[in-house]
Amino acid sequence: MAATETALNHLPGDRRDSVASMLRVDLAGEFGASRIYAGQLAVLGNRHPAAAEIARMQQQEQRHLDWFDAELVKRRVRPTALQPFWNVAGFALGAATALLGPRAAMACTVAVETEIDRHYQEQRDALAGSEPELEATIAEFQAEEVEHRDTALAHGAESTPGYPLLSAIIRAGCRTAIAAARRV
Amino acid sequence: METQDLTLDELRPRLVRAMLPHVAFDGWTPNAVAAGALDAGIDPDIAAITFESPAAMVEAYIAMADADMLAALETANIGALKVRERITLALRTRLDQAAPHREAVRRALAVLALPANLPLAAKTLWHTADTMWRAAGDTATDFNHYTKRMTLGAVYSACLLYWLDDDSEDGAATHAFIDRRIDNVMRFEKFKGQFKGRGEGGPSLARFLGRLRYPAV
Repeated sequence: MAATETALNHLPGDRRDSVASMLRVDLAGEFGASRIYAGQLAVLGNRHPAAAEIARMQQQEQRHLDWFDAELVKRRVRPTALQPFWNVAGFALGAATALLGPRAAMACTVAVETEIDRHYQEQRDALAGSEPELEATIAEFQAEEVEHRDTALAHGAESTPGYPLLSAIIRAGCRTAIAAARRV
Repeated sequence: METQDLTLDELRPRLVRAMLPHVAFDGWTPNAVAAGALDAGIDPDIAAITFESPAAMVEAYIAMADADMLAALETANIGALKVRERITLALRTRLDQAAPHREAVRRALAVLALPANLPLAAKTLWHTADTMWRAAGDTATDFNHYTKRMTLGAVYSACLLYWLDDDSEDGAATHAFIDRRIDNVMRFEKFKGQFKGRGEGGPSLARFLGRLRYPAV
């Protein structure tokens, strides 16, 4: 499914995203993810059983964020102008899902990480060897995002009430956010 | 002639540099292009197609000025300076470098003031402010990236207008003007700093709701 979508979106000769735009959207994504986890931790506190797992994932996101920060400065790419919005929206999403319940919080993680995984895969396909170092780092981060998704699934994400609806809404939100961060 | 092998992108800074002494008399016009090409030994036919419009000439001039400023700041040892001193140095360097051809700058501003060129004016101003901040070692990747450039763009515009009519020795009046503007910015930043961090440590709505939702843990 994902493969055909990519093929339809990019006809031969279409202009692909520039590396600058890729880095911008990646930084925005990692920033958003870290804000989601921050929102979840704000609600869950530090003694809830799920909190330790979320804190570990947040640490990894922070490492991704730091790497993209440095890379953006090195390549003189402007960051996303919507950053204040991601700041609030990410935190609100994390807090809201955590208030629904620990499994809903995990469902949010699954939805977000699924989209990020798909997005990183698209970028790796688009780079196709032109930027080996960047591609390798993205592959490494992608593996960690997939691991977050699997962890969240193991914590019963799919058994949360209304999972399909919740997941669909969050995934649609992520796709919109990615499209916006590409340009703005 | 070796200049015949250059691409137009490589040719533009050279040609625009050679044009500068003529712009004071001819304006940003094809006449100045032709005179500059003659001085720099550039094929006049190639020179004639290098710029589509006066706006393109001004754009090339500002790009050249940005590159010159960046080169000067990179050789200057700014590592030991405070950020405000780095920015002051960037503003001084920029205006000192432009001092020999102030009339060309005045005429460039006249071109940029045309309503049709306003997007270009905004773009070049942003690029200049961006170059100054990058040279000063700015690493902001949040919204500060934008506010910093907006503030510096405003300061630079003010300094540029002041500098145009500055008759003092070695631009001393402009240097003093720059210092005063930077002081203004720093005063405002201090004022802003008083509010920063006030909300932290206070009650957190998310944590409060979390306590209600998860009372046991």
